[in-house]
Parts: sequence; structure tokens; C-alpha cells
Amino acid sequence: MPRPLKTFARNFGLAALAAAALVLAMPAAYAEENMWPILRQDEFGDRPIQENDGMVVLEAPQKVEDAALVPLTVRVPPSVKGKLKSLTLFIDNNPDPKVAKLTFGPAQGTGGERNFSTRVRVDNFSHVRAVLETEDGTLHMATKFLAAAGGCAAMQAKDPDADMADIGKTIVRVFPPALESDPIWAGQVMIKHPNENGMQLDINTAKFIPARYVKEVTVKRDGELVFKLDGTFSISTNPNFRFTFGKGKANDLDVVIVDTDGAVFKGQTQPKGS
Amino acid sequence: MCTPNLISRKTFLKAALALAASPLLRYSPAWADSAEVSEVAPGVFVHQGRYEVQSPENRGDMANANFVVGSEGVAVIDTSGSEVMGEDLRDAVRAVTSKPIKYVINTHMHPDHVFGNAAFKQYNPTYVGHYKLARALGTRAESYITAGKEMMGEKVFAGSEIILPTMAIEEPTTLDLGDRTLLLEPMPTAHTDNDLIVTDSKTDTLFLGDLLFSVVVPTLDGSIKGWLALIDQLGQRKAARVIPGHGPQTMQLPGALEPEQRYLATVATDVRRLIAEGKTLSEATKTAGFSEKDAWKLFDQYHVRNVTAAFAELEWE
Repeated sequence: MPRPLKTFARNFGLAALAAAALVLAMPAAYAEENMWPILRQDEFGDRPIQENDGMVVLEAPQKVEDAALVPLTVRVPPSVKGKLKSLTLFIDNNPDPKVAKLTFGPAQGTGGERNFSTRVRVDNFSHVRAVLETEDGTLHMATKFLAAAGGCAAMQAKDPDADMADIGKTIVRVFPPALESDPIWAGQVMIKHPNENGMQLDINTAKFIPARYVKEVTVKRDGELVFKLDGTFSISTNPNFRFTFGKGKANDLDVVIVDTDGAVFKGQTQPKGS
Repeated sequence: MCTPNLISRKTFLKAALALAASPLLRYSPAWADSAEVSEVAPGVFVHQGRYEVQSPENRGDMANANFVVGSEGVAVIDTSGSEVMGEDLRDAVRAVTSKPIKYVINTHMHPDHVFGNAAFKQYNPTYVGHYKLARALGTRAESYITAGKEMMGEKVFAGSEIILPTMAIEEPTTLDLGDRTLLLEPMPTAHTDNDLIVTDSKTDTLFLGDLLFSVVVPTLDGSIKGWLALIDQLGQRKAARVIPGHGPQTMQLPGALEPEQRYLATVATDVRRLIAEGKTLSEATKTAGFSEKDAWKLFDQYHVRNVTAAFAELEWE
């Protein structure tokens, strides 16, 4: 369950503190708000985590332009040869800091760069982390610090009525590599879903809009598991995932999505030639 | 051209105080003319916002703020970006007329148009907005307040608050100011999902809010497809003058809309092409629409955000 559900009041303080940290250009000044030791203990216990050892690379924008839609990309360079066990993303200061955990299956692919991209909400100034677990059970982490831009970009959906009208609409795409024999292929899953965080007041009913978000995404290639993702509302409205998978025979992707209301949405790549 | 016809007493006093406090100050401080309004047509007053983002110096003076004076009362249309700016606007109204301030209308949810609302509470006006404005403000109140404090500082921002509309406009509605009426029309999702436009019957002045940006780069917080479609319709309207949300005090249709249309169309075309090429959102934010860079102020502040929003919308086509 999401643990440190922070109050809005606390976030106010955090923003001021983070602003001060930025002025000093010294993320260290931010240390007293450091959530990471707790998150780390909770997820990985006392297991050692290698930092910046080149096994995993995290790409995030230098400046958050739209706090509701922050693109993140995780790359596992081709020099990493073995299979991957899991990948966990954190945004330390989000209300639900564990963004997503991916557990990889037999169709994950090897023999080239593996990568995963999604878009997240960033509630505030925060560290964002990608922790990769390789086949041998070792943990490797890449970290970035995100500074919010402030201004008009709130975290809310721009057109909630239009989003809700299309809930469950799914697009699944395969991007064949330039060289068809390449062992690593790329795919994309998009789901129309508000991914409500349960923290926004509906002015018409004076009640909080209930949390409803995508909880599980299972992606299979030709029937074999690429990954299963456990998600939270730190993922943006209309969740969007780009990922790599191992070349198969037909390279058809099948996706099953389950949200916190128990609704199940399915999608697959269009049969070729259609 | 219209010339500013007054400086509020409060602003004058502040300026005097600042000059007394800093005798070496030659250039007038940034806020010295913040409450200037111009009568652009009989009874129609416009305060032109600055081409800047909110700061302690400009006190959130960014968007155009306006009022219309009728024989029975006054309607304020957008209240600028802080309570102190709202006060200056209120003083500007009071310098022109003692008639009751009956309506405070917000053309949409953005902070630079609504945070001055609080300055009018004492008159107990009817606060008016698009029927989706209340929801939009309600869900964003926290983040708007946090951002306002960050950008303007606690001191300048003090007193600013989100005031929700008490009158929701779901279809074209007329407000009576005595010798003139205002026609309020809710628009489909474009700049935001709660854009409202206002026409003054007496002078045929059309207030477009942020459906019309000039000089300052448009900001997309609704639907790029919706906005481009709406620009086509708005361009066919006739009005003696239009008042943009950002830009000069008055402009003329249809030419006023052309730069904005070109900008949005360029962004849409570039983003669609990148999506078709299989590019990612991050890649798109590095190239799409950059041919427009030199045509707009505040491009660096808002353009990448616009591309992000456009990409997230157009990838569903």
C-alpha cells in the first residue's frame, strides 16, 4: 500500500525547502526530507544497491515543463548481456513514491539495448530513481533530481470529460527495427484512463474523486511474457509505455490491463496487413 | 492608440514610498504603472498585462484585466494574477465610477486571470464562469496556490485565493448592466476546458480571454485540435474590436488570430509527423515547432510544455 501519504500542508513546506535547495544548487540541503532510506528499506531490505555502475541509465528532462506529464526513460546498455529480473521506479517525494515495478518474463529479449519509457506525475521537487535487478539478483540504481517549473501546469487532466468518455481505449504498437533480424524489437502500449489519485476534490459533490488507477499491465509477445507491471497513480493520466522485447515469430503483442476498480481492458497489435 | 488614463492612488503612494526609500532609484519600479487602464471604447476599460511570467516585481500582472461600466453597474472581466493586482484594478474601477460591481467574470481557470478575484469580495458580486470552471479550479487550487507563492513570494501573494464561480454558464447567457448587456458564451475545449467569451452589446467589443494570444506564446492546457477548430469559427465572427487575454489592448478580426493559428498549426503538423515516424515525446520536445521560436515572447517558458500536451493528445489519432 502507498505509505507516506503526505498532507498538502507538508508539501507546502517541502516546496519552500526545495526552492531554497535549488537556489543553493545543492540538493544536499534537501537531505532532511530524504524519503529514500525508508523506501529502500521497505522495498529491498538490507540488500546492497550499486549506484551509477553503468548497468542502468535514467533519462529525465532537466526541467519539469508539465508536472502532469514528465517523460522518463530507463536504458540498460548493450554491455549488459544477461536477462533482467525486475525494474522499479521511484519518485521519492510523490504521495505514492513507488511509481511502478516491472517483472520481466522470457520474452524480454537479450542481445542489444533494453529500454523502458513512461510518463509520470511529479508532485514536487524530487529525486527519481530506477533500480534494476539483474538475473544474478544484484541491484543497480540510477538517480536524477527533478526541479518543477511551477506555473500553470497543474497535475490534472486537461480534458477529463473527453478522457472519461474513452476510458479503456487501448493502442498497442510494434516498431520493427531497421534490421528485421535485430534480436531486440520495440513496442508501445497506451491506455485511456484517468489514473485518478484520489486526492482531488470534486467541487460539484464536495467529495474527493475516488482513486482509480491502472494497477497491472501484462504484456505478452506471441503468448510469452515480456513483463508484468504493477503501477500506481504516479503514472500520468492515459498511461503510456514504450519498451523493448525479444524478437519472436509473429511479434504480436497482447496486453491485459487491470485497474483498481477491477475493470479489465485488453489490447493487441493489429494483425499485419490490416 | 489609447493612452492610460489613470494611476491608482495606492500605486502612486507605493511608488512615492519606494522613491523616498531609495533616492538613487531613477528608473520607475516595475509595478509603478501596474494599474493603468485605458478606455478602449465607451465604458470599456482594459489593463494590459506584462509580457512576463509572474514574479514578486510584477505581482502577477501578466494577463489583460478588464471592466465594462453600465448605467446600473459594473462587470469585471478577469482580475489579474494576485489579490494586490485585483486591488489596483478595483481602485481603477472606483476611479471611474461608483456604480456597484455586480459581476466578476473569469474567462477561464488560469491563475493570472483569477487570483485577483479576492479583491472584489467586499462588494459581494456574482462570480461568473464556464460551467466547467468550478471543477477545474477546485482540483487545481492547491497547486495554483503553491505555484503562486513560489513565483511571487508569500508577501506579494498574501490575500490571493481561489474563489469559485457562483454562476455557471452552460449556454449563451445575457447579463444586464442597464444601458448595455454582456453576452457570455461557453466554448468547447480549446485553450482550456473552461473557456468563456464575452461580447459587450453597446460597443460590439469581444473579449476572447486566452483564446487569443498575441506577442506572448499561446499556452495549451486543453486541446490543440479543439483550439484550431475554434479559431476557424472565431475568425468568421464580426466585432468592432477584440480584446486578447495576452497582447495589446485591442485587436481586429480576423487578422488577430493569424499568428496564433500559425503557431498551433505548426506545432500540430510537426508533432503529427514525429508521431508517424515513431518518435517519443522527449524527442518531439527537442524539435517540434522550433521554427516559431523568434516569433513569440516567453517561448522558452511555455513552448516545450505545449509540445508535450499536443503530443499526448495527437498520439491518440
